[in-house]
Amino acid sequence: MPTDKIFSNTLNTLEKSLNLRSIQHKALSSNIANMDTPNYKAVELDVAKQMAKQNGSLPGLKLVRTKVGHLPIRSDRSDQVTLKAARPPGFSLRGDGNTVDIDRTMGKLAENTLLYNATAQLISKKFKGLKNVIKGGK
Amino acid sequence: MDFFNSIQTSSSGLSAQRLRMNLISGNLANVNTTRTRDGGPYRRKEAIFAAQPMNSEFNKILTDRLNNQTAGVRVDRIYEDTSPPLMKYDPSHPHANDKGYVAVPNINPMEEMVNMISATRGFEANVTALKAAKEMALKALEIGR
Repeated sequence: MPTDKIFSNTLNTLEKSLNLRSIQHKALSSNIANMDTPNYKAVELDVAKQMAKQNGSLPGLKLVRTKVGHLPIRSDRSDQVTLKAARPPGFSLRGDGNTVDIDRTMGKLAENTLLYNATAQLISKKFKGLKNVIKGGK
Repeated sequence: MDFFNSIQTSSSGLSAQRLRMNLISGNLANVNTTRTRDGGPYRRKEAIFAAQPMNSEFNKILTDRLNNQTAGVRVDRIYEDTSPPLMKYDPSHPHANDKGYVAVPNINPMEEMVNMISATRGFEANVTALKAAKEMALKALEIGR
Protein backbone atom coordinates (compact mmCIF):
# COMPACT_ATOMS: atom_id res chain seq x y z
CA MET A 1 0.00 0.00 0.00
CA PRO A 2 1.34 3.44 -0.79
CA THR A 3 0.05 4.78 2.51
CA ASP A 4 2.50 2.49 4.28
CA LYS A 5 5.29 4.68 2.97
CA ILE A 6 3.69 7.86 4.23
CA PHE A 7 2.74 6.69 7.65
CA SER A 8 5.53 4.10 8.05
CA ASN A 9 5.50 2.02 11.19
CA THR A 10 5.64 4.96 13.53
CA LEU A 11 1.93 5.53 13.90
CA ASN A 12 1.24 1.84 14.26
CA THR A 13 3.75 1.46 17.06
CA LEU A 14 2.63 4.63 18.83
CA GLU A 15 -0.99 3.55 18.61
CA LYS A 16 -0.14 0.23 20.24
CA SER A 17 1.76 2.03 22.93
CA LEU A 18 -1.23 4.30 23.67
CA ASN A 19 -3.52 1.33 23.89
CA LEU A 20 -1.27 -0.61 26.24
CA ARG A 21 -0.73 2.43 28.44
CA SER A 22 -4.46 3.02 28.75
CA ILE A 23 -4.88 -0.61 29.83
CA GLN A 24 -2.07 -0.16 32.33
CA HIS A 25 -3.83 2.96 33.65
CA LYS A 26 -7.00 0.95 34.15
CA ALA A 27 -5.08 -1.67 36.13
CA LEU A 28 -3.42 0.98 38.28
CA SER A 29 -6.73 2.77 38.99
CA SER A 30 -8.16 -0.57 40.01
CA ASN A 31 -5.27 -1.11 42.44
CA ILE A 32 -5.68 2.37 43.89
CA ALA A 33 -9.44 1.99 44.31
CA ASN A 34 -8.87 -1.31 46.10
CA MET A 35 -6.01 -0.21 48.33
CA ASP A 36 -8.07 -1.07 51.44
CA THR A 37 -9.99 -4.09 50.13
CA PRO A 38 -9.22 -7.29 52.04
CA ASN A 39 -7.74 -10.10 49.90
CA TYR A 40 -7.45 -7.93 46.78
CA LYS A 41 -4.45 -8.93 44.64
CA ALA A 42 -2.80 -6.06 42.75
CA VAL A 43 -2.49 -6.39 38.96
CA GLU A 44 -0.34 -4.57 36.42
CA LEU A 45 0.84 -4.70 32.83
CA ASP A 46 4.45 -4.82 31.68
CA VAL A 47 4.06 -2.33 28.82
CA ALA A 48 7.62 -2.68 27.53
CA LYS A 49 7.40 -6.46 27.42
CA GLN A 50 4.01 -6.39 25.68
CA MET A 51 5.33 -3.92 23.09
CA ALA A 52 8.32 -6.15 22.38
CA LYS A 53 6.04 -9.18 22.13
CA GLN A 54 3.65 -7.49 19.70
CA ASN A 55 6.35 -5.97 17.52
CA GLY A 56 8.60 -8.95 17.14
CA SER A 57 5.95 -11.64 17.11
CA LEU A 58 7.97 -14.35 15.35
CA PRO A 59 8.57 -12.84 11.88
CA GLY A 60 9.23 -16.26 10.28
CA LEU A 61 5.84 -17.65 11.22
CA LYS A 62 2.93 -16.30 9.24
CA LEU A 63 -0.39 -17.91 8.54
CA VAL A 64 -1.39 -17.87 4.89
CA ARG A 65 -4.97 -17.79 3.65
CA THR A 66 -5.18 -20.43 0.92
CA LYS A 67 -8.94 -20.25 0.46
CA VAL A 68 -11.29 -17.29 0.25
CA GLY A 69 -13.40 -18.62 3.11
CA HIS A 70 -10.50 -18.63 5.58
CA LEU A 71 -10.88 -16.21 8.41
CA PRO A 72 -8.20 -13.53 8.53
CA ILE A 73 -5.71 -13.83 11.35
CA ARG A 74 -5.12 -10.80 13.42
CA SER A 75 -2.10 -11.41 15.55
CA ASP A 76 -1.71 -7.83 16.69
CA ARG A 77 -4.77 -7.68 18.87
CA SER A 78 -3.47 -5.50 21.64
CA ASP A 79 -6.74 -5.64 23.56
CA GLN A 80 -6.05 -9.29 24.26
CA VAL A 81 -3.30 -8.68 26.75
CA THR A 82 -3.19 -10.48 30.05
CA LEU A 83 -2.43 -8.62 33.23
CA LYS A 84 0.01 -10.12 35.63
CA ALA A 85 0.00 -10.01 39.39
CA ALA A 86 1.95 -7.01 40.63
CA ARG A 87 4.97 -7.54 42.83
CA PRO A 88 3.72 -7.54 46.42
CA PRO A 89 5.46 -5.21 48.88
CA GLY A 90 8.61 -6.85 50.23
CA PHE A 91 7.57 -6.55 53.82
CA SER A 92 4.01 -6.03 54.89
CA LEU A 93 2.51 -5.74 58.34
CA ARG A 94 -1.09 -5.87 57.17
CA GLY A 95 -2.71 -9.22 57.67
CA ASP A 96 -5.65 -8.82 55.29
CA GLY A 97 -4.09 -10.45 52.20
CA ASN A 98 -4.05 -7.21 50.20
CA THR A 99 -0.98 -6.89 47.96
CA VAL A 100 -1.28 -3.26 46.81
CA ASP A 101 1.95 -1.33 47.30
CA ILE A 102 0.45 2.17 47.21
CA ASP A 103 3.74 4.11 46.92
CA ARG A 104 4.91 2.03 43.99
CA THR A 105 1.47 2.24 42.38
CA MET A 106 1.39 6.04 42.60
CA GLY A 107 4.89 6.22 41.11
CA LYS A 108 3.88 3.93 38.28
CA LEU A 109 0.74 6.01 37.71
CA ALA A 110 2.77 9.19 37.31
CA GLU A 111 5.23 7.46 35.00
CA ASN A 112 2.48 5.92 32.91
CA THR A 113 0.62 9.23 32.56
CA LEU A 114 3.78 11.04 31.45
CA LEU A 115 4.66 8.39 28.90
CA TYR A 116 1.09 8.31 27.58
CA ASN A 117 1.14 12.08 27.11
CA ALA A 118 4.55 11.88 25.46
CA THR A 119 3.28 9.24 23.02
CA ALA A 120 0.16 11.27 22.23
CA GLN A 121 2.39 14.26 21.58
CA LEU A 122 4.59 12.22 19.24
CA ILE A 123 1.54 11.18 17.21
CA SER A 124 0.35 14.76 17.15
CA LYS A 125 3.74 15.99 15.89
CA LYS A 126 3.86 13.26 13.29
CA PHE A 127 0.55 14.47 11.87
CA LYS A 128 1.72 18.07 12.03
CA GLY A 129 4.81 17.08 10.04
CA LEU A 130 2.68 15.35 7.40
CA LYS A 131 0.40 18.35 7.21
CA ASN A 132 3.38 20.59 6.74
CA VAL A 133 4.61 18.47 3.85
CA ILE A 134 1.13 18.38 2.26
CA LYS A 135 0.89 22.16 2.44
CA GLY A 136 4.39 22.45 0.97
CA GLY A 137 5.80 24.18 4.02
CA LYS A 138 3.49 27.16 3.62
CA MET B 1 -12.61 2.99 25.78
CA ASP B 2 -10.47 2.18 28.76
CA PHE B 3 -10.52 5.65 30.23
CA PHE B 4 -14.22 5.63 31.02
CA ASN B 5 -13.62 2.38 32.81
CA SER B 6 -10.67 3.87 34.72
CA ILE B 7 -12.74 6.90 35.68
CA GLN B 8 -15.58 4.68 36.89
CA THR B 9 -13.15 2.58 38.90
CA SER B 10 -11.62 5.66 40.53
CA SER B 11 -15.04 7.13 41.32
CA SER B 12 -16.10 3.89 42.98
CA GLY B 13 -12.97 4.28 45.13
CA LEU B 14 -13.91 7.88 45.93
CA SER B 15 -17.43 7.01 47.05
CA ALA B 16 -16.23 4.03 49.11
CA GLN B 17 -13.62 6.14 50.91
CA ARG B 18 -16.19 8.89 51.50
CA LEU B 19 -18.63 6.45 53.05
CA ARG B 20 -15.81 5.21 55.27
CA MET B 21 -15.10 8.80 56.26
CA ASN B 22 -18.80 9.35 57.08
CA LEU B 23 -18.74 6.33 59.38
CA ILE B 24 -15.58 7.60 61.11
CA SER B 25 -17.19 11.03 61.64
CA GLY B 26 -20.24 9.25 63.05
CA ASN B 27 -18.04 7.27 65.44
CA LEU B 28 -16.22 10.39 66.63
CA ALA B 29 -19.46 12.39 67.00
CA ASN B 30 -21.03 9.63 69.07
CA VAL B 31 -18.07 8.99 71.31
CA ASN B 32 -20.21 9.84 74.36
CA THR B 33 -23.63 8.67 73.16
CA THR B 34 -25.13 6.43 75.82
CA ARG B 35 -28.55 5.82 74.22
CA THR B 36 -29.45 4.92 70.66
CA ARG B 37 -32.76 4.03 69.05
CA ASP B 38 -32.13 0.32 69.73
CA GLY B 39 -31.31 1.04 73.39
CA GLY B 40 -27.84 0.70 74.84
CA PRO B 41 -24.82 2.81 73.92
CA TYR B 42 -23.70 3.64 70.38
CA ARG B 43 -21.64 0.93 68.69
CA ARG B 44 -18.62 1.71 66.55
CA LYS B 45 -19.23 1.21 62.80
CA GLU B 46 -16.71 0.27 60.14
CA ALA B 47 -17.00 -0.22 56.37
CA ILE B 48 -15.82 -3.52 54.87
CA PHE B 49 -14.69 -3.16 51.25
CA ALA B 50 -14.96 -5.70 48.44
CA ALA B 51 -13.69 -5.65 44.87
CA GLN B 52 -16.35 -5.43 42.17
CA PRO B 53 -16.02 -5.81 38.38
CA MET B 54 -17.02 -2.54 36.74
CA ASN B 55 -18.93 -3.97 33.74
CA SER B 56 -22.52 -5.01 33.88
CA GLU B 57 -22.79 -6.99 30.66
CA PHE B 58 -22.12 -10.69 30.97
CA ASN B 59 -19.61 -10.85 28.14
CA LYS B 60 -17.60 -7.96 29.48
CA ILE B 61 -17.47 -9.54 32.90
CA LEU B 62 -16.35 -12.82 31.37
CA THR B 63 -13.48 -11.23 29.43
CA ASP B 64 -12.51 -9.26 32.48
CA ARG B 65 -12.33 -12.41 34.54
CA LEU B 66 -10.33 -14.19 31.86
CA ASN B 67 -7.85 -11.51 30.87
CA ASN B 68 -7.57 -8.66 33.23
CA GLN B 69 -8.82 -8.75 36.73
CA THR B 70 -9.28 -5.02 37.17
CA ALA B 71 -12.07 -4.06 39.49
CA GLY B 72 -13.69 -1.15 41.23
CA VAL B 73 -14.56 -1.20 44.88
CA ARG B 74 -17.81 -1.24 46.78
CA VAL B 75 -18.76 -1.26 50.43
CA ASP B 76 -19.66 -4.87 51.07
CA ARG B 77 -21.22 -4.32 54.46
CA ILE B 78 -21.07 -2.05 57.46
CA TYR B 79 -19.63 -3.88 60.40
CA GLU B 80 -20.89 -2.98 63.83
CA ASP B 81 -18.42 -3.48 66.63
CA THR B 82 -19.64 -6.15 69.06
CA SER B 83 -17.09 -5.57 71.80
CA PRO B 84 -18.69 -4.80 75.19
CA PRO B 85 -19.16 -1.12 76.07
CA LEU B 86 -16.95 0.54 78.64
CA MET B 87 -18.51 0.89 82.09
CA LYS B 88 -18.00 4.30 83.60
CA TYR B 89 -18.89 5.15 87.20
CA ASP B 90 -21.24 8.12 87.16
CA PRO B 91 -24.22 7.67 89.54
CA SER B 92 -25.75 11.05 88.68
CA HIS B 93 -26.09 10.12 84.99
CA PRO B 94 -29.73 9.39 83.99
CA HIS B 95 -28.62 6.27 82.09
CA ALA B 96 -26.67 4.81 85.00
CA ASN B 97 -27.64 1.30 86.12
CA ASP B 98 -28.57 0.44 89.71
CA LYS B 99 -24.87 0.16 90.67
CA GLY B 100 -24.17 3.64 89.32
CA TYR B 101 -22.31 2.58 86.15
CA VAL B 102 -23.04 4.03 82.70
CA ALA B 103 -22.32 2.05 79.51
CA VAL B 104 -20.35 4.32 77.16
CA PRO B 105 -19.31 3.39 73.59
CA ASN B 106 -16.05 1.49 73.25
CA ILE B 107 -14.49 3.96 70.80
CA ASN B 108 -10.80 4.78 70.77
CA PRO B 109 -10.47 8.32 69.32
CA MET B 110 -6.81 7.67 68.36
CA GLU B 111 -7.83 4.67 66.26
CA GLU B 112 -10.54 6.73 64.56
CA MET B 113 -8.06 9.52 63.79
CA VAL B 114 -5.64 7.04 62.22
CA ASN B 115 -8.46 5.53 60.12
CA MET B 116 -9.48 9.04 59.13
CA ILE B 117 -5.99 9.83 57.81
CA SER B 118 -5.97 6.52 55.94
CA ALA B 119 -9.35 7.32 54.35
CA THR B 120 -8.15 10.83 53.41
CA ARG B 121 -5.03 9.48 51.73
CA GLY B 122 -7.07 6.83 49.92
CA PHE B 123 -9.44 9.49 48.65
CA GLU B 124 -6.53 11.65 47.49
CA ALA B 125 -4.89 8.74 45.67
CA ASN B 126 -8.15 8.10 43.81
CA VAL B 127 -8.44 11.78 42.93
CA THR B 128 -4.91 11.67 41.49
CA ALA B 129 -5.74 8.61 39.39
CA LEU B 130 -8.94 10.24 38.16
CA LYS B 131 -7.17 13.47 37.24
CA ALA B 132 -4.49 11.50 35.40
CA ALA B 133 -7.14 9.61 33.41
CA LYS B 134 -8.81 12.87 32.44
CA GLU B 135 -5.52 14.45 31.46
CA MET B 136 -4.60 11.45 29.32
CA ALA B 137 -7.97 11.41 27.57
CA LEU B 138 -7.71 15.14 26.84
CA LYS B 139 -4.20 14.67 25.49
CA ALA B 140 -5.48 11.93 23.17
CA LEU B 141 -8.19 14.29 21.94
CA GLU B 142 -5.52 16.79 20.95
CA ILE B 143 -4.10 14.38 18.36
CA GLY B 144 -4.58 15.80 14.88
CA ARG B 145 -5.53 19.24 16.05
